[in-house]
Amino acid sequence: MSETPHRRRVLVIGAGAPIGEALVRVLLNDDQVSHVLAATGHPVDTFPIEGREGLTVRSVDITRNRQLHHLLFDTAKNLEIDTVIHTAMHSSATDEGPRVHAYNVESVRNLMDHCERHPVIDRLILRSASAVYQVQRDLPVLIGEAHPLNMAGNAPQWVRDRVEADVSACTRMGMGRLRITVLRMAEVLATGTGSQLYDYLESPVCFQPAGFDPMINVLTIRDAVEALTQAIHCHKQGVFNIPGADTLPLSEVISRWGRLGLPAIGSILTPLYRLRRRLTGHDFRYGMNRRWFIYSGVLDGRRARDILDYTPTHPVDWPVTDIAPFSEAPGGI
Amino acid sequence: MAFSPAIANAIAALFLDESARERMGRIDFRDAGHGYDAFGMHPSYVALGEVLVSPLYDRYFRVRSQGHEHLPATGPAIIAGNHSGNLPIDGMMIWLDILRHTHPPRIARPIADHFVPSLPYLGTLFARGGMVGGSRGNARTLLDSGEMLMIFPEGVPGIVKPWSKRYQLQQFREGHAELAIRHQAPIIPVGVVGGEEQLPALFSSRRLGRLVGVPIMPIPAVPVPLPVRYHLRYGKPIPIPDQFTPDQADDPIVVRETADRVKRAVASLVETGLKERPGVFE
Repeated sequence: MSETPHRRRVLVIGAGAPIGEALVRVLLNDDQVSHVLAATGHPVDTFPIEGREGLTVRSVDITRNRQLHHLLFDTAKNLEIDTVIHTAMHSSATDEGPRVHAYNVESVRNLMDHCERHPVIDRLILRSASAVYQVQRDLPVLIGEAHPLNMAGNAPQWVRDRVEADVSACTRMGMGRLRITVLRMAEVLATGTGSQLYDYLESPVCFQPAGFDPMINVLTIRDAVEALTQAIHCHKQGVFNIPGADTLPLSEVISRWGRLGLPAIGSILTPLYRLRRRLTGHDFRYGMNRRWFIYSGVLDGRRARDILDYTPTHPVDWPVTDIAPFSEAPGGI
Repeated sequence: MAFSPAIANAIAALFLDESARERMGRIDFRDAGHGYDAFGMHPSYVALGEVLVSPLYDRYFRVRSQGHEHLPATGPAIIAGNHSGNLPIDGMMIWLDILRHTHPPRIARPIADHFVPSLPYLGTLFARGGMVGGSRGNARTLLDSGEMLMIFPEGVPGIVKPWSKRYQLQQFREGHAELAIRHQAPIIPVGVVGGEEQLPALFSSRRLGRLVGVPIMPIPAVPVPLPVRYHLRYGKPIPIPDQFTPDQADDPIVVRETADRVKRAVASLVETGLKERPGVFE
């Protein structure tokens, strides 16, 4: 990892969401960061961190290009912000339409336009998601950065937006003075992060397609923040997978989460979870995640390890932790 | 899976003797954090696999094998053999044979056709025992990690070939040769004798196969596989690292010639096995 020659001044977009807020807290205690500008979609007085030296909080609607422009060319410029971290993604898979698209995609595009012209900003880090990848039976289990993306025409907007934002950022890499890093993160098992898996696990009974038990990888907020801070202090640009410390079968995720997993015929799961969504207001869409529930897909973090010096070190604090490993199981071999 | 590793472990503990249990505890694999590797293999299910396959190996097909000294104890390697018999029993016999005859035990990771991971239950059970889907990325990752792969270069045409073509090797694909050269892995040829006679097929139907999610469905002439005797013969490794550099994996002629060389080696082992066996069931 290359060390930065000076202390960074960082703008965090999406600071009102769990990952953004956790990142702001870490950056405020980072010796190599001298100022943090937190941009939140909520009113400033609701931001949970206040009165800290080196912190400025602004309320911004990133779907409004004018507000974004003012944030960058007024507040950020005056504070000499040189690094922008974009963590904002519309979390609900149910919401669709132009406003959601503006939040997920147009904001990224506008942000890059502004940053490329900005007199001080030279670094943009975009939080992307593992959902951009295609998972199918003839593709590798271990997903590298060159893995095919999910470009299916019938993919829901939740997926299409994430792919488009990601690709938009990738196409700008190396085109100007702005150094862009895209971090494709595994599912963060925490509320408010847009994790479909987390929402799936909210039910006391979790239905799985019968006969399938794919390997999945999950990330914690602490490791997500760790990856973002490593990216701030690294000069390299590029796309990096950010896996978590936990790689395990779906059935084991369910049982460790304290839920009851039940097999069901795959074809009834889409209507079943659609019904659940309508009755309970949950967000999980089985149809959108179907392949991830059948075929294994685990992010390969070797590039992040080698270049960003990122290795996941914070496993999920499972509600159920007492599962005996192979050698310690009763009658163990 | 319908049951946890603890249950698989308990079943294995019931049926395996102490030395087998101790041996299984020494399986070398890359734990991704929860007892599974990234591909879903788990030592408890490998032990369960030994319990399930052993009666077939020991009593039903009464496997005889030789040439174990050619199996490398460590490092990347590719086991390449002839495929036959309409059911992948040959792969199961090789899997268990290598597990039993390597010290510490090595798992020959079967590289399966793309349709296998999409088979409910079977795909998952096989993955727990070490199988991976046949994508190039999976094979590369495993070889990079120093694992041993089991590949049948004939693919599906080998396993479903008609009775009239028994023990006639079909065209060898080139992927295994390219992988071996690029990852500097020796190729250990294995000749399988016995598999061809286990389940003669009347005919094979692609249409029926599509209905159940497989490329082709053999219609067997007998209701269950016959108790033929299996003969496995491992040949001298083809010393890829001594003869090629990784760059030569991009040379189509080198790759084709290597695949042909593997095919000749396997054909020779099969021929020797056929000459030496006293009969199909002996």
